[in-house]
Amino acid sequence: MTNERDEVHPFEGRVDSPYWDGLGAGELRIQRCQRCERWSWPADWRCPACGGYEFRWERVEPVGRVYSWIRSHLPFVAAYADLVPYVNVLVELPQAGNARIMGLLTGDEDGIRIGAPLTGEFRPASPRTADLPVLTWSIDARAAA
Amino acid sequence: MTPRGVAAVGYGTTPYYKRGTSPHAERKLLLMAIDDAAAMAGIDPADIDGFVSYGADQQDGPRLTGPLGTRELRWSSLVWGGGGGGSAGAIAQAEAAILSGQAETVVVYRATAESTSGRLSSAVIQGVFGVQYRAHGIDAPAQALGLRTQRLLEADGVPASALKAVAQASYHHAGRTPHAVGRDVRLTDEAYDDARLIAEPVRLFDSSRENDAAAAIIFTSAERARDLTSTPVHLLGSAYGALGPRWGELDENHEPYAASSQAAPAHRVWKRTGLTAADVDVVQLYVNFTGPPVSALIDLGFCTADTAGEVLTFENLIAPSGSLPINTSGGDLAEGFLHGMGNAVEAVRQLRGESYNPVPDARVCLVAGGPISELSSVALFSTEPPA
Repeated sequence: MTNERDEVHPFEGRVDSPYWDGLGAGELRIQRCQRCERWSWPADWRCPACGGYEFRWERVEPVGRVYSWIRSHLPFVAAYADLVPYVNVLVELPQAGNARIMGLLTGDEDGIRIGAPLTGEFRPASPRTADLPVLTWSIDARAAA
Repeated sequence: MTPRGVAAVGYGTTPYYKRGTSPHAERKLLLMAIDDAAAMAGIDPADIDGFVSYGADQQDGPRLTGPLGTRELRWSSLVWGGGGGGSAGAIAQAEAAILSGQAETVVVYRATAESTSGRLSSAVIQGVFGVQYRAHGIDAPAQALGLRTQRLLEADGVPASALKAVAQASYHHAGRTPHAVGRDVRLTDEAYDDARLIAEPVRLFDSSRENDAAAAIIFTSAERARDLTSTPVHLLGSAYGALGPRWGELDENHEPYAASSQAAPAHRVWKRTGLTAADVDVVQLYVNFTGPPVSALIDLGFCTADTAGEVLTFENLIAPSGSLPINTSGGDLAEGFLHGMGNAVEAVRQLRGESYNPVPDARVCLVAGGPISELSSVALFSTEPPA
């Protein structure tokens, strides 16, 4: 089996390691090119716009909108089996060049639709989340109204 | 003399066994499929000098030359990319090998059996789903393809009826195909609608289920093909790849998001052959789930998002009466799932007049590999050589 896209050992060597560090510190950080300012997501080693290899990690607000969503009815990930059925959102971040990140939807699912505004909440690393800190998301009822 | 064209001269397939139940090891399945293809082509298996597969296949050429008694190995290659994206791309590599003179007799194949290549996850996804997915409970093609399909439905406005039509046409054709795993399923509206949800919007009958199986097609120059068989199936053109602005393994950040990645290889095949979707008599689509083939048909030019509802109906998609018959063996959903290899086999079968769902006077058949994959592929076959 081929390894995953960003696999490096140890974990700190991964190109997206600062992203996970940020979540652990309660900050959503997205990669941005130092030279041309292009938002870079998913994180990578080279900027396709200017060819640069220097990046910084910029803090952005943990808010976004639903780009797409699914409701899983099978325990595709064993650690999530007790949550079935659960909704995942693909969250678009307009404040970070429309970068898209995945997450679990918590709370009311009634307003789930593409474009719905979302607010993120930082969660500590746990066995459920592959021992990584994550953002979970809820539909922002006030903004949606 | 440099060959001017390439043709398929034989194919072989094993039965499609339920995953994990093949009585034979993976390589044995493949060797038997290659033997059948060679027998149909009327050639000695030892004369096969090129080997091409794709995706996660583990049976590379040097593993086959021993048991086949290969006289000279001249070409051995794999199309990178998960799933079935390279299923028609492997045909493109065979074409490149033959037209360039690197090899003369090339077998394109795919084999998988759980006893060798493991559970579905390791055999299919090739590590595509890293921790950016898994930490959130996403680790299966049904989920990632569900995200892309939801966008196709909700943002692009493709009606869900198009997905159902693909499923029903597939099972309809399987019902007349004796070896199809789904031959006994009657997929009524009720059966489809009432089936359990997998990863909304993906339902049970929108989903393929992987089998233990092997299939192989032997290609050679069109000139030599004419000496071997009265029914050579000519390859008019083939291509694989993807077209941006952003395609590749990008953790759901590719653009255009709900497109199929078929646009680029399709454009090259249309340009090279001078044909368009209107010239195609029958289509064999990659159907891991029913969303991607709908997206592919849009990118290939058979319909638009706006017309998908009226074009992609059960009546239109079935042989012999429909105007756009698809997956005439039942395809990945209902004949059996071998990462798309069965689609190319059915294309050859159809144009040799051997399909159980013959399309009247079919002359041109398109094979689409792995839409909504990081790369995808297209091959265009005909009963006639290129003009």
